[in-house]
This record gives sequence, structure tokens and C-alpha cells, in this order.
Amino acid sequence: MTRAILSRGGELLFVAFGVSVLTFLMIHLVPGDAAQVMLGAADASPEKIAALRHQLGLDQTLVAQYAHWIAGALQGDLGTSVWTGRPVIEEIAGRVGVTIELTVLSLTAAIVIALPAGCLMATLRSSTAEYAVRVLSVAGITVPSFWLGAMLLYGAAAVAPNMQVVGYVPFAQDPLANLQRMLLPTIALALPVVASLARVVRASMQEALGQDYVRTARAKGLTERRVIFAHALRNALIPFLTTVGIMAGYLFGGSVVVEQVFALPGLGRLMVGAIAERNYPLIQAAILLATVTFVLVNFLVDLLYIAADPRARRT
Amino acid sequence: MNRANPLLWLGAALVVVQALAALASPWIAPYDPNVQDILARLQGPGAAHWLGTDNFGRDTLSRALFGYRTLFTISAASVLGALAVGGTLGVLAAWRGGWMDKVAMRLMDVLFAFPIILLAIGIIAVLGPGAFSTAIAIGVVYTPIFARMLRAPTLLLKDSEYVAAARAIGASDRRILGRHLLPNLSPVILVQASLSLSTAILVEASLSFLGLGTQPPTASLGRMLAESRNFLNFSPWPAVFSGAAILLAALGFNLFGDGLQDRLDPRLRSRR
Amino acid sequence: MTRIGSRTALAALAVMLPFAVGLPTAAAQTLEIATDQSPVGLDPHVATAFSTALIDSNIYEGLTAVDTDLRTVPSLAESWTVSPDGLTYVFRLRAGATFHNGRAVTPQDIIANIERVRDPKTASPFASRFTGIKGMEAVGANELRLTLDAPSAPLLSQLATLAIVAPEAAATLGRVPVGTGPFRFKEWVPDTYITLERNPAYWEKGLPYLGGLKFNIVPESATREAGIASGTYRLMPVVDAAAAAALAGKPGVRLLQTQDLAYSLIGLNTSKAPFDKPAVREAFNLAIDRAQLVQAVYFGRGVPGGPLSPALTQWALPVSAFPCYTPDAAAAQKKLQEAGITGKLKVTLNVLGSLQQVVDVAQVVQAQLNKAGFDVQLNVQEQGKFIADWRASNFEGFVSLNSGSPDPDDYFGRAFQTGGATNVYKYSNPDLDKLLIAARAETDPKARKQLYDGAQRILACTGPAIDLAYGTLFAAVRGDVQGFTPMATRSLRTLREAKIAP
Repeated sequence: MTRAILSRGGELLFVAFGVSVLTFLMIHLVPGDAAQVMLGAADASPEKIAALRHQLGLDQTLVAQYAHWIAGALQGDLGTSVWTGRPVIEEIAGRVGVTIELTVLSLTAAIVIALPAGCLMATLRSSTAEYAVRVLSVAGITVPSFWLGAMLLYGAAAVAPNMQVVGYVPFAQDPLANLQRMLLPTIALALPVVASLARVVRASMQEALGQDYVRTARAKGLTERRVIFAHALRNALIPFLTTVGIMAGYLFGGSVVVEQVFALPGLGRLMVGAIAERNYPLIQAAILLATVTFVLVNFLVDLLYIAADPRARRT
Repeated sequence: MNRANPLLWLGAALVVVQALAALASPWIAPYDPNVQDILARLQGPGAAHWLGTDNFGRDTLSRALFGYRTLFTISAASVLGALAVGGTLGVLAAWRGGWMDKVAMRLMDVLFAFPIILLAIGIIAVLGPGAFSTAIAIGVVYTPIFARMLRAPTLLLKDSEYVAAARAIGASDRRILGRHLLPNLSPVILVQASLSLSTAILVEASLSFLGLGTQPPTASLGRMLAESRNFLNFSPWPAVFSGAAILLAALGFNLFGDGLQDRLDPRLRSRR
Repeated sequence: MTRIGSRTALAALAVMLPFAVGLPTAAAQTLEIATDQSPVGLDPHVATAFSTALIDSNIYEGLTAVDTDLRTVPSLAESWTVSPDGLTYVFRLRAGATFHNGRAVTPQDIIANIERVRDPKTASPFASRFTGIKGMEAVGANELRLTLDAPSAPLLSQLATLAIVAPEAAATLGRVPVGTGPFRFKEWVPDTYITLERNPAYWEKGLPYLGGLKFNIVPESATREAGIASGTYRLMPVVDAAAAAALAGKPGVRLLQTQDLAYSLIGLNTSKAPFDKPAVREAFNLAIDRAQLVQAVYFGRGVPGGPLSPALTQWALPVSAFPCYTPDAAAAQKKLQEAGITGKLKVTLNVLGSLQQVVDVAQVVQAQLNKAGFDVQLNVQEQGKFIADWRASNFEGFVSLNSGSPDPDDYFGRAFQTGGATNVYKYSNPDLDKLLIAARAETDPKARKQLYDGAQRILACTGPAIDLAYGTLFAAVRGDVQGFTPMATRSLRTLREAKIAP
């Protein structure tokens, strides 16, 4: 087990390194660099651009730039934002809260809804109802979140024109106003997760309900509710967790677009903005953070897997 | 056990109808999708324009039909490309084993760990926006999925007694892989390709929505949605229909893949 | 563990639901503003983007200012005298004017600012505006004398574009502006908001009324609309025609309007085929239907434009003066034949993708041109790439939105004179250069207008920029915002007189 963990940990390091190299290459291949974008569509002389490039270190070779970056990164210094001169860690820290809040709200809302919904779906007897539910759940997974967001915004404006639904108020400043503004983005982001999770719960539940130990439990005279929640649900836990891990990645990608639609100052908008501004250190750090988080979450899920299923230890 | 069939058929029907519509769009579209008619702009559904018109007075139905064409072409090209490249890589890595396997799969891990949209945005930023770049970007995103999917069964096959026996009678690697691995895996590949198409459609739409996909005036459903957003308060119809079209396209492939999976192995249902 | 998680989430959900309906916000003294883009830096001598000017116009002032009627009025200079030969200007500085760091403004500060703008190291796009100033000296404690090498008609209005910065803060102005204006910089959270607070030491006693300004950066048009309709934001300073039409009649929202100085255009590269031939440029003009464009993109709220904005009533020629502004596909074809072009002329236009209005303009123009026998491809670019290509003149043609200028000399000289600072078209026309040089030295308004009429006639049909349309500039405010007047320059200077009714 320790060996499995160590080897997965090594892979994680390699992936982080690979992602940083790839990100670095990619952003430096994009035409138009930070110096040009910063000076705007005005008349900046070639000398001025060259000077700024030098100041930003953009006139060094790619290898030298990367070496410089990784040396700093290993000491915990991810560089400073090209535009504001603040450490990128600070810039990211100021934004990551919004994304985390959005992700956590969506995930909790999804779990809270998906668990009972999945159980309910598992107990449906009529096949018509079951098909309807399945089509709905697939539709829920495939609905484009940016479309849903725009439609929700339009609907809200039509139904309750005075509702405060856009912008961002920090939770610490006014919790109610914060949650009120997070409502629509949460719905837009959570729906596909609800659908995915509910399907997983339903499938595992159905499987479990046909198994011997559930029959035994029923035979012992336990109530149906007890059977479902105490026995069958436990069986659903592992696939459920796996899906949650996959969804963590989805949620992050989805929040890029949803933050844009609802004007939330989160990490997704930071990244899209950073790409447009060619703010290299910021892009670099933000993508690294996002991928490492994604890999870590899945690493944890793997560990749970290994802990729960001895057979998985061998592979 | 034919429980999954109605959904499978529903999915297949959706895919076939939409694909046919996309193919036939030049003949069945009631209008030229790029012709502007300012006087008739932002109309709701009606007799002249079944699905209404956009802010330039272009016919939404015609644009949606041509939009399907763009959407299907790009999604299919990228998934097929990813299958070809990723699949070959996965099979070769497993078959050869050793350092080649390690390097290839770690590379795939790196690609896989990237947030999909950001990887695609990055690739398009490098290549410049357009249909071709979009297809490449989505293809790269899906390559690791197919590499992983084909690697595991190849490993199993490689260690099997069957291969040892085949080798003993002098069968070539190519013959073993072509005759036995691929036929056995084709249903799984079909399922994964179908499900990948479903998400590739969503990625293409997101990229067009962000203005990175096909260039105007080529009809693209994601761009239609993005452009109509500014006119939601006038006429929600172009936004409603273009979004619904994206949803239906993705839904068709997802139901089809899902149903197929059920049919192949009911026990594996929803365990993706 | 899962159970605790679900319970917390349930509680959170339970908290969320009852408050989904709006609570009225307290009448705060800070004005919530919704704008679409982050500024690209706040140094007023370097950054020229709308997004920068919008914010800087509250922080900085020039010696002079341009008022809502585009007249030049006193600002940091409370008065001035001009010698009869037009070569010497003496400005008396505003008593009590101080920088946001508390220091009083001196004549030396103004000199330092002019020097900074002219310094090649600053690379200011405004440098060329002040090259004609030969001598600068302080006269006493609060007077400044400028001597010119030739009379300059536009000097006073050009001085309005020179934001006076605190020279000691020059190194960090891109991020932390220090000026003399009614509001001072407080905080900038990138891509989120910029806050300014009231300058209590502002020289105009009692102003400003507002306690502060908060510029919320909201990229989506529909989101900004929803925000002002629901009262989250109190001011949307730049509203395009489509959004204005959507907001018209919304309860609590008031639309203000003015003629925009900014205009949509197609820029052509005159250094390479096919646009090196004036006849091809004229053919392009003839193929475009500007009236239809105004209907399609501006919802009828705009006017076809010539080389100068119709807002500049004293200078601009009516578009009826330009024969090529009457769409005529047959004449366009004839012009192409003159230029020796047969078959469909294939042209690629770069399009500034960050502004939907520009993309819309490009699509309408493309349809019109293709109908007239061209084969126009659009290349919608992300802002960074667009700017890089624009600067390097790496285009056949481009579609964009340019900010105008209240003074024709400033704009024409920079954009169209041979070697001009923003002459990315690589346009060179000795006849035009002669007119522009003569006009700059001409102080008699009538004679100056004559010269500019000539320049407009040259530029309209065969110039390197195909001017398309000037939209009506709308601003949306909540009903309780008083005293704000939108300006053609998109400056928010009038916010110093704005207040929120109790």
C-alpha cells in the first residue's frame, strides 16, 4: 500500500512538472507578447517595447526563462504579475476564494439533491418513468452551462427584475447578499453534476438492491428505508466518490464560463484575462495550481479506492 | 435483457436525423444562412422564418442547419483523430512496454491533467482561431482518453496464453493485434467514441461561444449563441434555439453511447 | 462524514432560498459603475484605451478641459493670455490645486509633465502634440509661459489631453495614479473592480458630491444590463445601441445620450497590393452601404461618418460632400477595372474580436462587399494578436473602432500624415501633408476650416481609412443619479458634479 502511494506520488510530481513545461511552451508560442499588449494600441516605439521586454525578462531564451521560473517556483516564489507587480500568489489567493465557494456550493447542492434523487430513481418500478428519468439525467449532463447561465439570467430578469443576481459581494462582508448572488451561478454549474451523480447512485443502488445481503436484510424485517440508506447506499459510495473526483475537474472548467456570464471575480476569469494580457507568470501559476488540485483530488480518490478494495493495490 | 433499447434507439434516431440534416443543409435550408435582411431582424418563430431571425435578419433555422454541419464536422474530425493517434499510442505503448510505455503514458497523464477548456484555449491561441485549429485542439484534449482506453486491454491480451500460442505458430504482431484485439474492442471503442463526441460537441460549442471557433460568417451554433446573447432582451429565440440545438446534438450521442454500453454490459452501466 | 457534509449543505441551501428576492441596497455614497473591460494600465501619458481614459478622467486634469459641447475651458489653468503673434502663451495656475499626495501644483510640475510626454523613453502617443513648444518657463510662483516655434491653433485643446501627473510618482503611474482630479485612487483588483475615493482637497470647493466611484468590470453585456435593471449598478457609462434599445423603458433606468466621437472604420494597408491603388480603396467605399450599416448594427441610432465626427460641428463636412458615399456596385466594379483587377478581388480583414460591435460591423460590411463582387474573408482576432498585427502593419485591412479627437489636427496628423505616429496604414500623400502642415499654423478659423475641408475630401474616398459610422453614445443611469452628463469623448469628467438623490 505504501508503495502504491509512493508511486502515485511520484507520478503526481512528474505530471506537475510536465504541465509546467507544456504551459510554458504554449504561452510563449502565442503571438503577441506582454510588452506589446501592455503598451496598448498606441504608438509605442520599438525601443520602448524592447526596454519593457528586457525588464520583463522576455528577451532571454526560452530555456533560460523556464530555468529562472522553475528555480523560483521550487523555492515557493511563483513570480510577480506582469501588470500589477504583485506576487502572483497574492493575486491568485485573492481570487481563488470565489471559485472555491462556487465549486463547494455547487458540489454540496449537487450531492444533497443527487443522493435522494438517485435513490428515488433506483426504486422506480414503471419502465416509462425510468426512461423519462434517464433521458432527463442525460440531458442534464449535456446541457451547456454557458447556455443555462444565460437563460437563467434572462429568466430571472423577466420574473424578478429587482433581484440582485449579478456581481459579487464577499461572504464576510454580507453573507446573505453573497449567497443571493451565488444562487444562479450555482444552479448553472451544479445541474450537470446533479445529473451525473444521480445516475451513479441509481446504478449502484439498483445493483445493491439485487444482492444477497440486501435480501437478507429485508428478510430480517428491516424497513425499506433502512435497507436503502444503511446497506445499499454504502455500496454506492466508491463509484460516487470517483465521480465526485472527475467532477472536480469539470467544475473548474465550467466555472471559467459561468464566472464570465455572472461577472464573478474568480480564478477562471483571472486565467482568461491573464491569457488575453499575456501575463505569463500568472497563467503559469494558475494553470499549475488548477492541474495539481485536479490531480490531487483524483489521487485522494485513488487512495480511497486502494483502501476500500484490496484488489486495486496490485495495479 | 433489452431494457436499454428504447434509449439506444432514441439516441440513434437523434444522431441520424441531425447528421442527415447537417449533410442535406444546402438543399433543405429555406434560406442562405448568411443573407442578411435587416428589416426582418429579431423576429420570433413564424410562417416565413420557422425559428425566427437573428440580429442581422438571418434565418435561424438555416443557420442552425449549417451550424450542425460545422459542429459535426469539427467534432467528428477531432474525435476520429484522437482515436487514431491516442489509440495507436496506447496499443503500441502496451505492446512494446518498457520505457516507451512509461514515457507515453506519463505524457498522456500530463495532457489529461490539464483543464480541458484551458488546454483547448491555449492550443487555439497558438494556432490562431479557426475550424482547423479547433479540431486540432479538441483532438489533443481527447487523445489521452483513447490512449488509456486501449492500453489496458492490450496489456491483458499481451500476457494471455492465447498470444503465446499465436506467437508459437508464427503469427505476426500486426496479425494478432488486427485480428483479435481490434474486433474485440470495437464495441468499447464505439461506446467511448460516441460519448466523446457528445462532450466534444460541448467543447466545440464552448470554444465558439468564446469566439475561438470557426470564423464568421460561417454558421456555428456556439457563436450563434454568443452573438444572440446581446439581444436576449429583444428576442430570446436565437439564443433558445441555438442552445437547444447544441443540447440535442450532444444528447443524441450521449444516449446512443449510453444505451450501447448498457447493451454490451448492463453491469457496467453508468460506471464511467 | 458524508452526513455532516450534507447537513451543512442543506443548511446553506435553506439560508439561500428565502433571500433570493432582492433587498434594497442602502443609499451608499459610492457610485457603482459597470464597465466592460479592465484598463490596460492607468498611466495617462502612455495608455490610450477607452478603458483607461474612463477611469483616468476622474483622477487627472489638464491645464484646459473640453466641456460637454467640446469647447475648450479652463481647468488646472484658471486663465491664460495669448500674444498677438500667437507664439507666447501665459497660463495662470489654479489657486489651491494640489496633487493627491498633498503637494501644491507648481509651474515646474507642468513643465515636467510636458517633458515626460516628449521624452522618447516614455514613448507617449501624445508626444507629437507638444513638439512645437520651444520654451517653457515659470513666471513667479503660479504662472507658466510657453513659447512656440509657430502659431498652433490646436494647442489649447491639445493641452486638455495632457493629464497632469505628480512627477515624483512617475515610475508607478501605470498602477497607482496620482493626479489632481476630483477623485483619488484607492484600490485596483484586476479584472474585478477599481475604486476611487473622494478627493477632500479638490480645488473646486464642495465638489465632488459623491463619496467615491467603484468601477466594476463586467464583461458580459447582458449581465451589465441585468445589473443596472436590478439596481446593482447605478451607472453604465458606455452603452451600445442594441443595449440601449433593450434598456429603454426599464423602470428605474434613465438613458442619456450624446454623439460619439469614436467611429468604426476599415483600415487599409496602402503599402501593398491591392490597397496600394487609390482606385481599389474608392471601390471599397462605393461598395459599402453606410445607411444600412447604421440600421443593422446601431439600430438606427447613429450616422454615417466621414473623416471627422459629426460631433465636431464646426469642422466636419456633411457626408453628402463625398460622392463615394452613395453605394454603387457598378461604379465600384468600374473602379476595380481601372485598377486593372479582374475577377473577384480576394481580401482578408483582421477584426478586433474583443468588441462585439466591431465584429457585427465586420459581418455586415462583409456581406455588402461580397454582394458587390468582392471576396472578403474575416479574421476575428483576440485583442493581443490584433494589436501586434496592427502595430506591425501586418494586415491587408482591419476593422476596428477608433476613439476620435476633439481637434482635427491632432487626429489627422497622427494617423494620416507621412510618418505620423499611428499611421499604420503607411499612407503618404504629399498633397495631404501640405494641407495639414498649413492648417496647423493657421489661426484664422475660417481659413483653417478651408484647409481641413480639403483634407477631408482627399481622405474620404481614396484615403487609407474607410470611415463607416459614428454611433450615438448612450449612458444608462439609475433614476436617482443626478448631475451626470455623458460626453462625446467618453470622459467621465462630469461625475464630479454627480450625486445620488436621497
